[in-house]
Amino acid sequence: MTAPLTATRAPVTPRARSGRQRQVRLVFLLPAAVFMGLFSIYPLIQLVRMSVSAVTVGTLNQEWVFTGLDNFSRSFSGEGAPALTRTLVFVVVVTGLGMLLGLAAAITLRTRGRWSGFLLALMVFVWALPPVVNGSVWKFLLADSGLFNTVLLASGLRDSPVPFLYDQHWALMSVAFVNAFAVIPFNALVFRAALMNIPPETFEAAALDGASRWQEIRHIMLPSVRSSTLVLLVLTIVYGFRSFDFIYVMTYGGPGTATNTLPFLGYMQAFVRYDFGLGAATSVAAVLGVLVLAAVYARSIRREESES
Amino acid sequence: MKQTAGPVLTAWKALLTVMYGLPILWIVLTSFKSSGDVFSTSSALIFSPTTEAYRDVLTADLLKPLSQSVLIATGTTVLVLLIAIPAAYGLARTRGHLTSIGLALLIVLQMMPQTATVIPLFQVFGSWTLLDSTVGVILADTALLAPFATLLLRPFFRSVPPELEEAGSIDGASLMRTFVSIVVPVARNGIFTVGTLVFLLAWGEFLYAVNFFLSPGEYPLSVLLAQQVSAFGINWPGLMALAVVTSIPILIVFTSTYRLLRDGLTVGAVK
Repeated sequence: MTAPLTATRAPVTPRARSGRQRQVRLVFLLPAAVFMGLFSIYPLIQLVRMSVSAVTVGTLNQEWVFTGLDNFSRSFSGEGAPALTRTLVFVVVVTGLGMLLGLAAAITLRTRGRWSGFLLALMVFVWALPPVVNGSVWKFLLADSGLFNTVLLASGLRDSPVPFLYDQHWALMSVAFVNAFAVIPFNALVFRAALMNIPPETFEAAALDGASRWQEIRHIMLPSVRSSTLVLLVLTIVYGFRSFDFIYVMTYGGPGTATNTLPFLGYMQAFVRYDFGLGAATSVAAVLGVLVLAAVYARSIRREESES
Repeated sequence: MKQTAGPVLTAWKALLTVMYGLPILWIVLTSFKSSGDVFSTSSALIFSPTTEAYRDVLTADLLKPLSQSVLIATGTTVLVLLIAIPAAYGLARTRGHLTSIGLALLIVLQMMPQTATVIPLFQVFGSWTLLDSTVGVILADTALLAPFATLLLRPFFRSVPPELEEAGSIDGASLMRTFVSIVVPVARNGIFTVGTLVFLLAWGEFLYAVNFFLSPGEYPLSVLLAQQVSAFGINWPGLMALAVVTSIPILIVFTSTYRLLRDGLTVGAVK
């Protein structure tokens, strides 16, 4: 493992001066510390202050009236609670598809050859495209007279177009699917890197023992990706949780509030309804969710370090 | 041993190829269609191509958004690297409480929902008169991407052997000179990888740009695209032509850095 994110105990070195010299290098953190303090930490403090104040677009740059937890109770007695449920469903679908299909893709991309090489490059390219581009084309493909509905109607499977993006239940699932589509290439790349580490002799030995392909997957490939799975799982959950670009482009939170996940709801409350206090409260709740995930992430990285 | 793929794997591979190839194919095909051909079943694949959509999109009006995109993406890349390279090196070579706190903070900041940070930044930029300026958007994008860049760069600096630096310091070179002339060149692959990723992400960023630019004349390409696709009565060939134009720089960057991306992406993300 190349990057332990926790400070590991150093072996005692005969060079006593190196310890001191090492700490001098904290100076290199200074530009980042100043910049992040100004443009990340200070805004976050403002976000928390806003969440306990009455702030509208008109009073944004005036004194804010302290209102305690009023914004929070307004948010969660209203749209906040259903948005939280929706976020959970959304994250489960994105994570489930993203992990399973990412691993399945990695298994086919493991083999060398022109097709695998081409497919991998294609997938990484699609991953690298701006989300607005991917979102646009999927909105087009899923439209009433888009490709999917054209095929479904022509094949006689449906006699009316599927309302992929404007039915309450379909819309959330469609956007979750496109989010998974966008994260699968990255997950496949990470899983593939783990699979490439398996020595070829292992497969040769398995072949000699007459192992079936399924047994190869189950007994050789799955164990070898296990250490990357937990970390990647947290990353995929975070990705699904904070996702907003496909929602913005494909449904803009609609129909009604059907695709308002918690982070997106906070944005809408602030920038569409101009209730910055309410939007800040919803966003603080989303940030708390992220803090929990970050703690799990840091712990799983530490565990991976100690296992290897 | 030659691995022969079974029928299940071959079918799955074919499905993946269609799943990722089809959207690209559809963007390009649609951008060459006339408005009449877009939703007609008979002309799904066979139609008479027209450059009508491109002629509508590629006008003098596109120069401003294009230059805004270039400015924002390159500005962000330069600024992120200026901050993240020393920070990643510092975090790779120090230990103790400060280092641990720094790393923990970066992990948290990297995961922050952008929809949450856009709210206070709008207010903060309002009072610092950074709204409606390209500099403001570059600063916000830098704050968004610097944590991720630092965490991704750190393993590259850890793999630079400390002996190289010690050799430099015996020669009497200062810490700063050793860093610039020895460490940075050795870690250049990592820097290229991270720089490319930051450029790609900044090119596609639209949430800060759509909210911080108050005059639509200043919008970059990504925002134009986001606005047109959420509008009613979408002109699909025009939109797809704009998508192609927006994606061409990505294609150029991608083809020239694919190998680095493929191998470098997985280093910092998981390990």
